[in-house]
Amino acid sequence: MAPDGQAAPPGIAGGGELGTAIAAEPPPRRGAGQGIGTIFRDNLFKDAKNSILTLIFGGVILFVLFKTFNYVFITARWEVIYNGPLEFYMVGKDFGRTGISFEMLWAGIYTAVLAMGIGSGLGYDPEAPPMRRGARMAMIGGPLVGIVFILSMTRTITPTLVTLGVAVAMVVGNRIGRRLPQPIRRRSGWILLAMTALAFGLITDFTPSNIDDFGGLLLTIVVAFAGIALSFPIGVIMALARRSTFPLIRPLAVGYIELVRGVPLISLLFMGQFAIGFLFPPDANIPGPIFRAIIMITLFSGAYVAEVVRGGLQSVPAGQIEAGKALGLSPFTITRQIVLPQALRNSIPALIGQFISLLKDVSLLVIIGLQEMLGVVDVVLARREFVNQGYVPEAYAFVGTIYWTLCFSMSRAAQRLETRLGVGTR
Amino acid sequence: MTIVEQEIHTPTKPPLYRDVRVLRWLFQFAVVGVVGYALYRLYDNAITNLEDSGLPTGFDFLDNQARFAIPGLEDSADYSVRKAYWSGYLNTLRVIVIGIPLCTALGVIIGIMRLSDNLLVRAVGTIYVELFRNIPVLLWIFITYLVIILLNLPQITDDVTPLDRFVISNRGIGIPWFNPDANLLTFVGFIGIGLIAVVGVNVWRRKVNEQTGQPSRGGLYGFIAFLIALAIAHFAAGNALSYEPSVIAENGRQIEGGMNIFPPYVGLTIALSLYTASHVAEIVRGSIQAIHKGQGEAAQAVALSTFQRYRFIILPQAFRIMIPPLASQYLNITKNSSLAVAISYVEITSIFQRVSNNATPALQALIILMFCYLTFSLGISLIANFFNRRLSLETR
Amino acid sequence: MRKHWLLRLLAVLFTFTLIASACGDDDTSDADPVDEPSDDPADDPEDVVDLAQDDGGDTIQAIIDRGHLECGVNGQLLGFSNVEDDGTYTGLDVDYCRAVAAALLDDPDAVEYTDLTAETRFTALQSGDIDVLIRNGTWTSSRDGVLGLQWAATTFYDGAGMLVNSDSGFGSVADMDGTIICVQTGTTTEINLEIYFDNLGISYEPLNVADEAAVTANFSSGACDGYVTDKSGLASFKATYDGDVTILDDTMSKEPLGPATREGDEDFFDVVQWTVFATFNAEEFGITSANVADHVGSDNGAIAKFLDDQESGLAFPTADWAVRIISAVGNYQEIYDRNIGPLGIPEGVNQLYTQGGILYGPPVN
Repeated sequence: MAPDGQAAPPGIAGGGELGTAIAAEPPPRRGAGQGIGTIFRDNLFKDAKNSILTLIFGGVILFVLFKTFNYVFITARWEVIYNGPLEFYMVGKDFGRTGISFEMLWAGIYTAVLAMGIGSGLGYDPEAPPMRRGARMAMIGGPLVGIVFILSMTRTITPTLVTLGVAVAMVVGNRIGRRLPQPIRRRSGWILLAMTALAFGLITDFTPSNIDDFGGLLLTIVVAFAGIALSFPIGVIMALARRSTFPLIRPLAVGYIELVRGVPLISLLFMGQFAIGFLFPPDANIPGPIFRAIIMITLFSGAYVAEVVRGGLQSVPAGQIEAGKALGLSPFTITRQIVLPQALRNSIPALIGQFISLLKDVSLLVIIGLQEMLGVVDVVLARREFVNQGYVPEAYAFVGTIYWTLCFSMSRAAQRLETRLGVGTR
Repeated sequence: MTIVEQEIHTPTKPPLYRDVRVLRWLFQFAVVGVVGYALYRLYDNAITNLEDSGLPTGFDFLDNQARFAIPGLEDSADYSVRKAYWSGYLNTLRVIVIGIPLCTALGVIIGIMRLSDNLLVRAVGTIYVELFRNIPVLLWIFITYLVIILLNLPQITDDVTPLDRFVISNRGIGIPWFNPDANLLTFVGFIGIGLIAVVGVNVWRRKVNEQTGQPSRGGLYGFIAFLIALAIAHFAAGNALSYEPSVIAENGRQIEGGMNIFPPYVGLTIALSLYTASHVAEIVRGSIQAIHKGQGEAAQAVALSTFQRYRFIILPQAFRIMIPPLASQYLNITKNSSLAVAISYVEITSIFQRVSNNATPALQALIILMFCYLTFSLGISLIANFFNRRLSLETR
Repeated sequence: MRKHWLLRLLAVLFTFTLIASACGDDDTSDADPVDEPSDDPADDPEDVVDLAQDDGGDTIQAIIDRGHLECGVNGQLLGFSNVEDDGTYTGLDVDYCRAVAAALLDDPDAVEYTDLTAETRFTALQSGDIDVLIRNGTWTSSRDGVLGLQWAATTFYDGAGMLVNSDSGFGSVADMDGTIICVQTGTTTEINLEIYFDNLGISYEPLNVADEAAVTANFSSGACDGYVTDKSGLASFKATYDGDVTILDDTMSKEPLGPATREGDEDFFDVVQWTVFATFNAEEFGITSANVADHVGSDNGAIAKFLDDQESGLAFPTADWAVRIISAVGNYQEIYDRNIGPLGIPEGVNQLYTQGGILYGPPVN
């Protein structure tokens, strides 16, 4: 499915939508001493045409707001969420089979969030331009509304507390990341990798086969994460191969990348579910459906990551390579020590973008019968108390909010990271 | 693995096993060998497994009878599998042909809205983009079809038939349409007359534009000329063009006559267009911002209206930057049309799904499916490359 | 320096090979009990025939080793397999999963259920994800012949039916010329519907839906006039549907539903088959889950043999397999009353042959 533009070749699409989004020209700023009235006049009622637009769009916004509020607070029957098994949406129906305790799961999540926080702290650049107030409000306010909505469906205080804990872990990680002394900072990649691996271990109780019983949001995130992490080496190798001077290998890489990018993800997932058995000897161990899906998603994502990394490689100035040659370094060393670190650093925001689109693409698993969040909707709606009673809009609205909160906050974080890393400005 | 050309000048020739050129080729042959062997093994396994389970190894099943009906096609149960695939291919094409212009138009509008100097307009644009691109397109498809179309369009029993010629219902949207079966030749001929009129008017307008400097407005005049030519031809030939009104069938269950647009098609196309438009909008905005500010200011200085500024100064320049990412979005809308399997629109992926359940080898059925999508992708890439080359040649 | 380079080339090459092998070779490092060939046939004296079998031959041992049965079900069909509030499964199909688990493991709860769609069900069985497929699947020749599966028995004789709104005025399918019919994609129903309408000489327009949730959305909003699926499915739909609907009398096809196993494991096939027959025989003998203990050692020779089967050589681990099955799930009538009864489906031929039905359990002898 969609790479959503982030993975497109470099140029404007190297950073894709993210690259263009932060470049947004700030609207006329409020100078010192200007009052609310001035803002109103400048932004809303500058001239007759402007005023008409304001009235029309104001009407549209008010109408939509009214409809939304009316739906959320009056007509919607949210019992399908809060009286239903909220747990299904989060960890799936079969999570109990794994025997993983929720404490363990939360420990894993906290480790992951801490790692994310440290990572974001590492990228902190005190000299980066501060965020505009509006952008900051949107970055915090949007997801906050989403989280409050999701938490309002819970019945006990525990989820709220642990969610607050996630925020705390994020901030703590960020502060730690900012203050890491230089020697540790240099090895931070390995530390983050280890923490991520630990988090993954905790979440799966150190038995990856437990993933077969995951569902809901947990499955969505684990599959998307496994997809991006496993596809990273493939992507780097393919990107290097595509830019290499090996006349026999380049076509292989080009063939793989273009073939995968030319077909929809769903056809690859079908391949994993229906056809993969034909490609292996009968006595081969074909892993379970979720693992097959992860393998196909990895192959799929590998092609897109390759394009992202290729964009990063192209952004490394030729002078860097020439300098390396002048020092008499071997081509491998130049690639490994000079080109790749810069290229990968520049690809981070686009990689996050790729992760976001992968997160959305995991929803396709419902078509091959796996129970990620959209699949859980079917399970919940088949329950005796909800079946055939038209609870579809509420369930989709809830799932949509979860997706939106996750994707929106991550895409904003990626934009922020892009400013800090100075991608495209150097 | 290297990305740098080897240029090593050694006075003495190194031994063969240390000669970089030899090693390079050895390495490449090794990689190609390994990949080739792996592919061969997969192929070999596939053939063996298919033979073991008594499934055909070739593509002969394409001539079998499909046995299932395809909505909107008479006698489609008698189709061969090949023809069923072809119908699905056309149905996918229908989504693309409407979806691409729709998402582009919407995307351009939203993209420009996001650059408006009116706060509310900007806000609507931003909300649109953030709302649509942060929720999976599959969910949008579900919402559009299952919630918006099925629940909010009138039922066929509600008898919503504007002008007695249109039908609006969640079983289909019927619009009056020419009856090409009855008078196809006349129809084609008339279109030809209309097109000649359009060309003539355009030539005339261009001349006027060159001589007097009045805006040419070729599109507008051409459209009017087309309609007039069509009307004259129609009446001159004695009401030759007939159209069928769209009406509800006698049993009140289906729509007859005219053109019947299936709700799943509407749902899929709209959902894909809305979702893709949010990405197109970001591309448009980024491209416009990449145009030098002076261009817009110069346009304002020569008193062009906002519309003219975008139409003649900014968008043509921005379009050049837009082409590669736009092409990638068009590719996405094509690939995402495969999500029709989740609702009831029978396009090529649905055909695959149904074919593969009929004791047909899923592997071959899947290969055909992928091949079809590759033709779409290739077509879009070729067109994009053509435009890219043409536009970049014209300048600089 | 250049020597290093060679080494690194080799390393890269090796990585390539690894990747290629990871996605392209028969790597059997992860031992999966299902496919592990038995290396000590002497353990299983009854299994001599099975030695010749190449793959999938040791499902029973695999189940016993792993301690539970992997059962593929629908999961969203009331009466057959449905998830309750507490996450447990109920239904006729589920009861047969439990019966097989009871027979093999003496624990009806030792079952792990996998929800499967119409699309994925057969692949799941072929690839060994599940041991047995009890997902209201229709037994047809092409499925038996081509798909590498074999149907063990029929637990429910069904037929495709048509559900319409009560106020629609349709008395039979013959009235439904020029209508729009909802039908699930990838089922035998899709083809049977075409044949039935074709034979009646009337036309219809199919509206293909993915699952039952989509049926509700389409049907309740009036996008289709009728919904075609197995009559049991219609009854389950009707029981929960928020509106006045009727199931027409037409039976549009034969749909024998029952458990299927992988081809090539006759022992496990027999176990599943005789588990089903045991529920028929128990009903015929009047044995229920409540009184099964009283019948053990019965004076009736046939009953005694049934409950203490020393001779038949079926691959059940113990001779009291029938006792295990009956005490776990009861006889067929009990299973039926518990699951299908509440849906109000007429029993039809789903009764013992002694009561006018066609259920007939071969004798245990």
